[in-house]
Amino acid sequence: MKTIIKTFIVLFAAVSMSFAQGFNVKATGEQTFNFEDKRNQVKFFSTTPLEDITGISNDVKGKVSLNVADIKSMKGSITISVASIKTAIDLRDEHLRSENWLDADQYPEITFAIKNVGNIKVLEDNRVEAKVTGDFTVHGVTKEVVADVTITYLDASDQTKQVAPGDLLGVQAKFNILLSEFNVENMIVGQKVADNIEITATLRGSNAK
Amino acid sequence: MNTKQKYVILVALFLIAAALIWWFASGGEILSKDGIWVEKEMTELDKALGLEPQKEYQEKFILGLLPHTAVFSGIVVVLSTILFFTFKSKKTMGKK
Repeated sequence: MKTIIKTFIVLFAAVSMSFAQGFNVKATGEQTFNFEDKRNQVKFFSTTPLEDITGISNDVKGKVSLNVADIKSMKGSITISVASIKTAIDLRDEHLRSENWLDADQYPEITFAIKNVGNIKVLEDNRVEAKVTGDFTVHGVTKEVVADVTITYLDASDQTKQVAPGDLLGVQAKFNILLSEFNVENMIVGQKVADNIEITATLRGSNAK
Repeated sequence: MNTKQKYVILVALFLIAAALIWWFASGGEILSKDGIWVEKEMTELDKALGLEPQKEYQEKFILGLLPHTAVFSGIVVVLSTILFFTFKSKKTMGKK
């Protein structure tokens, strides 16, 4: 009976290990990455027959924790300030921050909070692709979105020290939202500004304490 | 139509055409812009981190159709119309 139980435990452990998908890097266990690099960038893209608009924020902050061997364990959030979004037209930036649009005074931040990670595909020892489901909050409204994410883990080295101390995590994410779902229904949505906005995040985090 | 009126029309057309050529040469943007997004060169580390190229904001005025080219053309049309009729009246008054 004991042999059967032992065999079962070993098999269960082996099966669990085979399902846990993560990085094959020097670091082990739970790691927490701070995303405070000034070059982190979140881009909003709208396309209409009249005009393409790119809005960019470099005021990105956040914290993400994960077990190196199990990407599914990833949790945390990323935040940007509405006031920092620039679209290359000062007047339009003012409109964007106004009550009729994102209302920066009342809702100063846009947040993506990770809920779960699925469809993990290991591309390399230090790189995975996944679908990250999260709660996206803008204009005071929270909706669940699914982002296509590529995550790369770099062990600390002379090269990484040039950017930040510690191990680095590179995150490239992309997802779409409908402005109308977030109660942003200005009369020019659909004409000068598309309802469907593509959001791209390019982030670097460090686990240095 | 007298000679002065013809000059007014020619100058107006020339100014509007010049504004449109300048607008087109500036990139033919619908709206005037206060800056541009320039793609930054990727560092080796960014490539190793699997990141896509980023953009950097640079302040630079880009002439657009709206409002600058359209407003300029509108002012030219209004002024030339006023001049056109002013010259017409002077000629008429002169004949009397």
